[in-house]
Amino acid sequence: MKVSFNELQGLSRKAFSGIGFDDGDANDAADVVAWMEAHGLDGIAALQKGLNFLLNEDKSQPPELIYQDADLCVVDAHNKTVLGHASLAIELGYAKCRARGLSVTKIRHCHNRMLIVGYLSRIARRDMSITAFWRNSHEPLTEILVSFKAGDSEPEICMYSLPSTPDDTEPNDGITLVMVNHVNLLPDLKPDAPLNDLLQQDRHAMASWHERSLVEGIEVDTALWEQLKVLATKMLVEASDDSRQGAGAGTNDND
Amino acid sequence: MIFATAASAPKKLRPASEVMKLERLGSMFASRLSFVRSLMRKMITEHWQIVNTVFDLDSKGHGLAIYRITTPANCYHCVIFSRDLAPEKRSDRVIAEAWDVTFALVEGEAENSLLEQMAANVPLQEAGRQHPRVLVLSRANKSLRNFSQFVAALAAGHQPDPALLTAVGYLYRTTAVYGNGKFGIADFARLERNADFNRPFAAQMLLVYILRQFSVEQLNHLASVQAPETSVPLHPELQRYLGIGNSTGLGMAPFLINHPQLIQQWVYGRERALARAREKPATAHTHARLHVLMSRALKHLQQTQTEDREQTLRNQKTVCSVAEVIDWLDRTPAHHALYEELISWARGHCSLEAQELINTMLIELYPELVDRLDDQLGCRESMDLKPDMKAWQLRDLINEKFDWALSYREDCPDDNYWFWYRSVEKEEPRLGVRGTESGAEKESALAIGPRISRCYGKLERFLAHNPNAIVVDFLLAHPEQKECVRRIQTIGDTPYGEIRANLWHRDMKPMHLLRTKLSFFGASRFDPKSDRWVRITLFQGAPLPWELSNPNLSLQQLDDWGFPLEPCLGGEENAQTIRGDTP
Repeated sequence: MKVSFNELQGLSRKAFSGIGFDDGDANDAADVVAWMEAHGLDGIAALQKGLNFLLNEDKSQPPELIYQDADLCVVDAHNKTVLGHASLAIELGYAKCRARGLSVTKIRHCHNRMLIVGYLSRIARRDMSITAFWRNSHEPLTEILVSFKAGDSEPEICMYSLPSTPDDTEPNDGITLVMVNHVNLLPDLKPDAPLNDLLQQDRHAMASWHERSLVEGIEVDTALWEQLKVLATKMLVEASDDSRQGAGAGTNDND
Repeated sequence: MIFATAASAPKKLRPASEVMKLERLGSMFASRLSFVRSLMRKMITEHWQIVNTVFDLDSKGHGLAIYRITTPANCYHCVIFSRDLAPEKRSDRVIAEAWDVTFALVEGEAENSLLEQMAANVPLQEAGRQHPRVLVLSRANKSLRNFSQFVAALAAGHQPDPALLTAVGYLYRTTAVYGNGKFGIADFARLERNADFNRPFAAQMLLVYILRQFSVEQLNHLASVQAPETSVPLHPELQRYLGIGNSTGLGMAPFLINHPQLIQQWVYGRERALARAREKPATAHTHARLHVLMSRALKHLQQTQTEDREQTLRNQKTVCSVAEVIDWLDRTPAHHALYEELISWARGHCSLEAQELINTMLIELYPELVDRLDDQLGCRESMDLKPDMKAWQLRDLINEKFDWALSYREDCPDDNYWFWYRSVEKEEPRLGVRGTESGAEKESALAIGPRISRCYGKLERFLAHNPNAIVVDFLLAHPEQKECVRRIQTIGDTPYGEIRANLWHRDMKPMHLLRTKLSFFGASRFDPKSDRWVRITLFQGAPLPWELSNPNLSLQQLDDWGFPLEPCLGGEENAQTIRGDTP
């Protein structure tokens, strides 16, 4: 079925509230999903993939700051989705970059990493250049590089496979963010890389996708839509005769 | 976004501590910056054309009507489905499932495939899936108080009594006007780049305006069907005096609270207009014009009827005050500081409504200073954190800009009396009494004052142990405060964004919230059904579509339709009119 951007954002926000997100996180998560989808970055698919996980995760344990100095911070997300409090880790990196000109933020042990792109678009809008980097741990091993130029609303994205698997036993479930205040860091593959290039999406393509989403609407899986509606209903109050009076509308409009 | 702290701000700008009090906001009237006035001016200056292209109604007035709207650059269609509705199904509430008419504004041509899709979905409203080319979706119910009497009079060959329209100024009452992506329709982001509709609620107001024209033509049709030999069409003066009703409830409140940046633009626009007017020296001409406007408003208010006791008392009080204002103008000749003297005098002698009416009329005096603000009432909304702000600066910001919120008392029952929530019945917004009614654990976060107060308490405790911390450190310790802090940091720069009231307080009057928004729309004739449900009239007195491009009428003549008076069909003396010829 087709839905509008505002509808997707609105229902997602209510669903995230129903799941137990605080207001700020529900707003951010909904913005991220809708922004990603409207820009052709499969926000809905990412949500669908992570929804059951989200429903069962412990919301009471926020990400933990395990190290910071003036330039660097490391946050442990405790195997949670980036839709939750990961935004605060990003904001911490932003604050450090504002103070020092460059910052590095590592978010360890997190899921649905692609969704972080939606929040990074906000940081770019606030005149910060950002590059996010992470690896997927499946075959073939791939690296994803997302880079926003300060002030741009769309990023450049590269996903490429690695020719050989490094001897590394650590799980690839973190994200590294580099923010710089005064120069731009844009992805640029080495000259011999395009042979195994899996995806290269430029910001013009994303801007066109966004335009198309506004004109034609956004395609959503009906089953997911219904599931979001059910989650959203958790924040609605059961009706009663008393509550019907609470709208103050009276009983007869035949006048 | 234009901030009120900008160097260009007029000198006589009223402080937010005065303007943003709920009771004062709830005393405002429509002004020349209201959205219906702004839309009409645009339609007049750009010579928009509205033409009926399909009028396929049966003898009961049921069927399909289509209107084509042509602007300088685009065309749109308003598609109206009129259906039979059993009286027991007629409800103005959002929980209704059927209406007398359902209608929509679509971008571009209304080709057959689109019409088929709309016929299957527009009548279902929220339960349908609407086409992405639909810009606005709405529905309305007949006002039975007027409808049959009007048809009978016209069929019998005479005009209905104008007093009927003074009592109830419309034949149809809209019960919801949906824009911005609801139920699959176009997002507002598409309209932002469209010069026809990039002002707030412009597309919604156009759709309501066209329903007004449909109501006239359907009425004439029914009278003609009933008595083809004797019937007469509705007199043009009555057509102008006919508005469209709107019935609305607590749904207005979440919008006001959830769009503080937009509210800032609306209020700041109005306040700048007022400040610019106040800076002008009164002349004999403006003094006389102010007198005329106040006299018309007095008569309009004297003619306004409502069954609601409290509103009746308010109207009576305002009428008394406005009469005193006119006396004051009679005995005070024009001089340089007349407006300041009047405002100062009114503060001590007049009701809040009368004070705000004076402000509305001062704005009315200076179109050349005010009308350019029409294009500055919108904004792109986004709230961002400033994570590197020092936590103590955040505390100081709250102390400086949100002191009104800090009077909330956690342990005071009156401060926590109400809770706002959405019902499972079509998400209808409702108010409940905390501790008495169930559902408080699912309340909507609309009471910004208590939220800020709680945030402030946590911030103070955090600062006691972390005096040099920055805001993101505070949020890592209290992540649930992210939304509140983001709002404080953003709205701290926009003084007119927050309504300064505790929306949980026992004495809070929801009607003030409704009126705040409706006055910006351009509503008149506030007719409450309860303390949280009101019926209003839009476009009463507005020019008719065929008058928009009448070369014999100036913009000034056509635009002068606020505070309409009951027309006197037989004579000229009482008619406040736009003089045009019926085509």
